[in-house]
Amino acid sequence: MSPAVGYTAIAVVAVASILIGFYGLRVSRTTSDFYVASRTVRPWWNASAIGGEYLSAASFLGVAGLILLTGTGGLWFPIGYTAGYLMLLLFVAAPLRRSGAYTIPDFTGARLDSLTARRVTSTLVIVVGWFYIVPQLQGAALTVRITTGLPSWVGSVAVAVIVAGVVAAGGMRSITFVQAFQFWLKLTALAVPLVALLIIVNGGTVAPELTPEAAFPTGAGPGALDAYRTISLMVALLLGTLGLPHVLVRFYTNPDGTAARRTTLIVLGLLSVFYLFPTAFGLLGRAFAPDLAVSGEADALILVLPDRLVPGPIGQLLTAFVIAGAFAAFLSTSSGLVVSLAGVISQDLLGGSVRGFRAAALMSSLVPLAVALITESTGLAGSVGLVFAFTASTLCPVLLLGIWWRGLTARGAICGMLVGGLLSGSAIIAVPAVAAAAPAWSAFVEQPAAWTVPIAATVTVLVSRIDRARVPRGVDAFLARLHLPER
Amino acid sequence: MTPPTGDDDTEPPRSAPPPRVRVTAPRIPVRGAQRAGETSGSSTTHATGATGGTDATDEPDASDVRGVYVRSLIRSQLQLGLVCAAAFALATTLFVLAIVWTPALDESFVAGVPVSWLLLAFGVYPLALTIAALYVWAAARNESRYRSLAEEP
Repeated sequence: MSPAVGYTAIAVVAVASILIGFYGLRVSRTTSDFYVASRTVRPWWNASAIGGEYLSAASFLGVAGLILLTGTGGLWFPIGYTAGYLMLLLFVAAPLRRSGAYTIPDFTGARLDSLTARRVTSTLVIVVGWFYIVPQLQGAALTVRITTGLPSWVGSVAVAVIVAGVVAAGGMRSITFVQAFQFWLKLTALAVPLVALLIIVNGGTVAPELTPEAAFPTGAGPGALDAYRTISLMVALLLGTLGLPHVLVRFYTNPDGTAARRTTLIVLGLLSVFYLFPTAFGLLGRAFAPDLAVSGEADALILVLPDRLVPGPIGQLLTAFVIAGAFAAFLSTSSGLVVSLAGVISQDLLGGSVRGFRAAALMSSLVPLAVALITESTGLAGSVGLVFAFTASTLCPVLLLGIWWRGLTARGAICGMLVGGLLSGSAIIAVPAVAAAAPAWSAFVEQPAAWTVPIAATVTVLVSRIDRARVPRGVDAFLARLHLPER
Repeated sequence: MTPPTGDDDTEPPRSAPPPRVRVTAPRIPVRGAQRAGETSGSSTTHATGATGGTDATDEPDASDVRGVYVRSLIRSQLQLGLVCAAAFALATTLFVLAIVWTPALDESFVAGVPVSWLLLAFGVYPLALTIAALYVWAAARNESRYRSLAEEP
């Protein structure tokens, strides 16, 4: 692959993001104020913006890589990422919009009338956000290395610097329009190359490297699924979506609870369409590029496949498309996360000033950068899956019980979050040790959500019952506000 | 009991961060709904007319009745959510088991890919979308039922 294509595509996306960021600085004051205050954002725009922010490196590169690597086990990731929005719709979308809370710490603080609960939630949100940014930076490292031949760290540093700079300068984030555009950019960047490849493959000029039976062995098919791992992964992905900090903020621009529901429904449709493409790329890769799985570069499948199947200028053009889409994915997801994190950090720890916001934006990009540089990527979709498991065990029980159960107390919420965070965190850390000492148990630490989420929820309920004298006084009014229709 | 003076300092002077400004939608409350929440939260004192009841619904039990309506709305929305989530889990499980228990699907190929793989890759999304659409419709119906109950005197 010619490095010039990689340089050009990356440079174009980077410059466009910076320009939009600074252009947004001028208009965002009026635009975002206008949008947030008068709430005229239509559900379609909002849904595209949510999709634009949500589809990260894990979705863009990781899903196809995992399908190439593990077969049908990888198919569950996009299903879970999408169905998470079903859970969001069923239990969270409308009530959270009506709560008027802007972030999860805002919600727990107001619902439980407790500063400590708010602080604990903030800390967890920051941890979740940091570890969600790490795979984005690792995806950027991979993309830069594969497409230009530069060392890996260049990609991580470039994305972290661009995001920190743009966000600290004024934020690209407040503009719904930009994020909505990002969704359609990412979709096009996968759809056009995929359709072109399918046409070429159908023409029969390229022969698959493996026969269908060898590319799709029954041993990696639906019949070979491990029930525990699959269920636990689905618990993590379905419930983890509820707690992602950058998703929640978008619901705020809906005019009311009903529009929040409609937006979520559209997001579900958009994601279902989007994931057709990485899935199809993964299936193509199993037949046409099986060697990537062996060499440990499965996540690069989408970047490499166009050039392999169509050498020459058309292949380079398709590659440029894919690289641009991948970079847009890293930049939009990380900037969305950095903005929400910087908001939480500056609000709760630094006093809420503009200078605090800038310092927080810098911190929110540099800490994940450090983590990304000292750790090795173990598969983008897999590491994002762990973040979902952690979120599902900590923030999700509190959010759900806070919305639907009047008996939740601040102590119950804090105990539940701490227990859930401790259990899922130590499970994730213990993976290598358990794999060496007791391989039979490794599924339970690699996919901990199936047991950590129920334990965290039980602890939350039990402690709240013991502590029932401290149910916040205004709880009935608060719940009524969450659930009553606006008009 | 010091009466609240109504200025900004009703919060205790802990080292709290400045409260975030909430911007909420222009809320046109259902008549009496707000009050229903508040009264069922504090105690059962009726205090009729204390809030200057301009509503024509000042019979002593009106607010209790509204509280009951609110609770039943919350309960029915929760039930609806749980039913939909269970339906999705059940439908997905059955779908996957049907694929697993039909080995013929592993041996028939469409475009070089086993049908069993294709079904699992693309078949679950329509299930999720269908359930989501049904939920949006049913949740709106629950709300309009509440509305018609609450607006009746």
